[in-house]
Amino acid sequence: MTGFAESLSRYFDGSWKQRTPANQLRNYGPLQPQIVPKRSSTAGATSLTKRKASGTLINNATYDPEAKRYIGSFGIEGWATRSGTNLIGYGQQVNIERQKMQSKPQGAKRAVIKQRRTADIVVRFTNMRGQEIGRLSQNVAAFVSTLIDQKIAYFEGTCVYAPDVIRTNDTIFIQLRCYLLRSAFDRPLPSIDDDNRISDLFAPKETEHERDMRLRQVGLVKLFKEVNLEPTEGGGARERHEREALLKVAEDDEKKEAQSGSSQAKKEDGEDGEEEEDGVTLEQDQLDALYRKAQSFDFDSPEAMPSDTFAMDLRRYQKQALYWMLSKETNHSDRQNVSMHPLWEKYTWPIKDQDDRTIIPVPDLDMDHFYVNLYSGELSLEFPRQEQNCLGGILADEMGLGKTIEMMSLIHSHKADSKVPKEDANGILHSNGTTLVVAPMSLLAQWEAEAKAASKPDTLRTYVYYGNDKKANLKDVLRTHSAPDVIITSYGVVLSEYTQISRREARGQNMDTGGLFNIHFYRIILDEAHHIKNRVSKTARACYELLAHHRWALTGTPIVNRLEDLFSLVRFLKVDPWQNFSFWKTFITVPFENNEFLRALDVVQTVLEPLVLRRTKDMKTPDGQPLVPLPPKKIIIEKVKLSQEEQDIYDMIQDRVKSSFSRSLEAGTLMKSYTSILAQILRLRQSCCHPNLIRRKNVVEEEMEADAAYDEANGFSDDMDLNDLLDRFSAQQEEYEQGKSANTYGAHVLHQIKAESEQECPFCCSEPMEEQVVTGCWHSACKNCIIDYIEHEKAKPKLPLCVSCRLPINTRDLFLVHREPEPSFDITLRRIFTSSNSSKIAALITHLQSLARTEPATKSCVFSQFTSFLDLIEPALIREKIPFVRFDGGITQQERKTVIERFKNHEGRMVLLISLRAGGVGLNLTEARRVFMMDPWWSFAVEAQAIDRVHRMGQVSEVTVHRFVVEGSVEERMVEKIQARKKFM
Amino acid sequence: MANLPKRIIKETQRLTEEPVPGINAVPHEDNLRYFDVSIHGPSQSPYEGGIFRLELFLPEDYPMCPPKIRFLTKIYHPNIDRLGRICLDVLKSNWSPALQIRTILLSIQALLGAPNPDDPLANDVAQKWKEDEKTAIETARQWTRTHAMS
Repeated sequence: MTGFAESLSRYFDGSWKQRTPANQLRNYGPLQPQIVPKRSSTAGATSLTKRKASGTLINNATYDPEAKRYIGSFGIEGWATRSGTNLIGYGQQVNIERQKMQSKPQGAKRAVIKQRRTADIVVRFTNMRGQEIGRLSQNVAAFVSTLIDQKIAYFEGTCVYAPDVIRTNDTIFIQLRCYLLRSAFDRPLPSIDDDNRISDLFAPKETEHERDMRLRQVGLVKLFKEVNLEPTEGGGARERHEREALLKVAEDDEKKEAQSGSSQAKKEDGEDGEEEEDGVTLEQDQLDALYRKAQSFDFDSPEAMPSDTFAMDLRRYQKQALYWMLSKETNHSDRQNVSMHPLWEKYTWPIKDQDDRTIIPVPDLDMDHFYVNLYSGELSLEFPRQEQNCLGGILADEMGLGKTIEMMSLIHSHKADSKVPKEDANGILHSNGTTLVVAPMSLLAQWEAEAKAASKPDTLRTYVYYGNDKKANLKDVLRTHSAPDVIITSYGVVLSEYTQISRREARGQNMDTGGLFNIHFYRIILDEAHHIKNRVSKTARACYELLAHHRWALTGTPIVNRLEDLFSLVRFLKVDPWQNFSFWKTFITVPFENNEFLRALDVVQTVLEPLVLRRTKDMKTPDGQPLVPLPPKKIIIEKVKLSQEEQDIYDMIQDRVKSSFSRSLEAGTLMKSYTSILAQILRLRQSCCHPNLIRRKNVVEEEMEADAAYDEANGFSDDMDLNDLLDRFSAQQEEYEQGKSANTYGAHVLHQIKAESEQECPFCCSEPMEEQVVTGCWHSACKNCIIDYIEHEKAKPKLPLCVSCRLPINTRDLFLVHREPEPSFDITLRRIFTSSNSSKIAALITHLQSLARTEPATKSCVFSQFTSFLDLIEPALIREKIPFVRFDGGITQQERKTVIERFKNHEGRMVLLISLRAGGVGLNLTEARRVFMMDPWWSFAVEAQAIDRVHRMGQVSEVTVHRFVVEGSVEERMVEKIQARKKFM
Repeated sequence: MANLPKRIIKETQRLTEEPVPGINAVPHEDNLRYFDVSIHGPSQSPYEGGIFRLELFLPEDYPMCPPKIRFLTKIYHPNIDRLGRICLDVLKSNWSPALQIRTILLSIQALLGAPNPDDPLANDVAQKWKEDEKTAIETARQWTRTHAMS
């Protein structure tokens, strides 16, 4: 035992004392819990603490990170890796070291990690002369290596038994003494620059950081088990076997990783295999069951009245939501007593070593207790306070029920006691009254508008923190007397500020940028919170780090398709213990994946029930009334027939798709070429809209030039004013002096048209003609009659001749006589087959025109997924003199706002051309009563969401939706087959 | 009647309401596309005084296609054969949907007044007409008396 005594005395020889200033305690002594009550209670909060500390205190290392304190010892086996005598003997001290390769420079970090994935867990032991004697046995080395690498623990050993003559592979027995390092109680902020691109694409793979945390957790669990250290407090509720379960989960992960590692290796040489996802996708019936459980809304739940400053009337269910939200925000009263966080355990530092000698406490680690969270592998020296149970929640009402309004009523009705902002020691400004709204960029203006609409004048100040307005120092803004009550920003801003601040931290720069992350808000609202459903995405991680007293997530779809989607929201809300991923995994993911669906579901329900309020539009009150009485909605599928030219182009592309499909089917490369087939199907869909969408731009332009030249020669144009024409004819007549030219007849016809004298269609004898069309030779007929006739003749095939004068008919020179309604009565002649009109556009125009006759003031929304198609619709609307505005992804935030305002404020008919992608979510377009869906999407849900922009709360009239579908085309199959199949998704 | 195009209804209406002198066309009650037609031989022609019966049928794609017309009464005419078929350009290649039953029947009436032996359908008749017009016209009168004046 002399060896041990020696080592002990060497260890306690006081050398560290010289390195340790006396005043170091101040950074981790009892902290000011009144300022940051959540300190270090959780993973996220710990990182915040650390960040705040390093961000505001100039010197990060105010303690000695290498300070260490004994926690216990245990016996292990090692194997000699060399032979010889006198290498090591009983009682002699050995150093425990990691392989040298661990000390590679930072740049090689990546490579090191790669190696670790395989087998780098080797831990060597050397004698006091520094000679390598051997290695620790595999099972010990597995966790010891992690603990050393992550600077959590320090180990040293004493040889208990070694043969006199050592041969390679001989067993050597060592007593391992374990110390926890001061640095273990610290945790770095996960770097934003983690390469998680793969994870971004294929959702929840483990991030590097999560992996490290898991290894660390396993290491700690094993270490504590080996040294037989039992918690002195906490963890009481959990049985011993739960800890085993915890280990098992972690180990399962290890195995899975090993598997995927090897399978990845296999795949590396060729095919792009399916990425393994650790969250199993939910089947529809499972999702239904889940929602059913979460939707147990009590219609008799109490209501709350909004404050006087709130300017809108709430419906009953909205008042109930307000009551619920108020109670969520104020329910901390019963939790005043300080209790320990349920996932943490309190440990007492051992005061005796294994030989019963008293251990002198080390400065920096001289407290009696420390705390461990075995679910996350975190260690803490501070008392991990039970967080006041989440003072927020998930408002998951289905879209259209007025989540925004409900939230506004909460903002008005529950305000902070004091509005004086205070800055804490960490440079975080505690703004007592301000609510931060994070929303997708397209909704910023809407939030601003709704905030205004929902408030009595001068009761609420809003501030859009975006673009140019972002330059301001938010802290300064909040310190002014006119500090905003609501700050509205976008996910993009949150992400970019987080990236900035985490880079600053990495470089050790001052992190007080006066931005979002330097403020502790009164309340945060994440709108469309499914934006952060992927917990490894940067945006999600950035949102977790925002500071606030109350946290709310608004989403119509809390679970998009896997249970992990919900986790991310829970994580944002900081709901304990569920925000801990390993806890979540242990009790939800793993049971679910092991087909214990019902069990997982029960757990999820217990998570959801107190957190989620969800009502759907089709819910009925007990007396059978719908929750939201919305005016009826009519969806009409408008079958469009392609013109012959369009059909030819369509058929050509279809043939090409078919042949390339069968070619790759034969060659067995179907899966490889599916992207190119999909691209061709896309082309097919585009050709349903307008052939020009798929044609080369220069060809189209050449044709248009040729057309223009022709028009010039004939004196025609797409759009001709009748009076201008008459003037032209009379001028010509003077020139020809009684010349019986065709134009004399033309002038006669025009006079007839002008006088509206009745004329009979030569085909159907209708009088007057239906949509009168005149030919280039000035003979008239109904539009459909003459088009039928031309097609009939072409099919023969025969050159179509005018039925009256037998001159050839040029299809381009068919002009529709268009009479403006009151008051102008202008008559114009319009080309029906211009190169810029397709059958679909023509159908749209026809609808808009008849709408203008029957309901002149109706506003309409025209949705298309192709902005290039919107480009082609625009000129058609201009030609028809239909006023319109356009909303797509290419316009700035400011423009979006003005576009929507112009649409809403315009008197009389108005068309909003809107791209499905940019405008499908969030917008409120209840001013419109007609919706035109120009092209179907694969899943109707996307279209339904767009339709719900119009058919939502606030809509007072019946909404008619026209969905244009080309007959006998891929569109028809999309609507009838694919959408029908996906209907339940 | 339901499937009958507006145009046919309108034409029929007009044929009865404003009949063309010397021409009479009445649709069958059981088939409104089938007409019984009678045309008076034009004055100062070998067919004067005769009433010629024809049948007229409007095919499915009328007015894209011309009506089918045939003389039922025997007639001696270079452009009408023994089966009553008529050689008239507007009934064939020169048909135009702008033409109507009324105009077609007028054309036929005009054809009776101006036979065109250079574009014959009944070759023997055309031959006669060219070689000995007088005899031919006399034969035509005779036929009219025998067949069209009963």
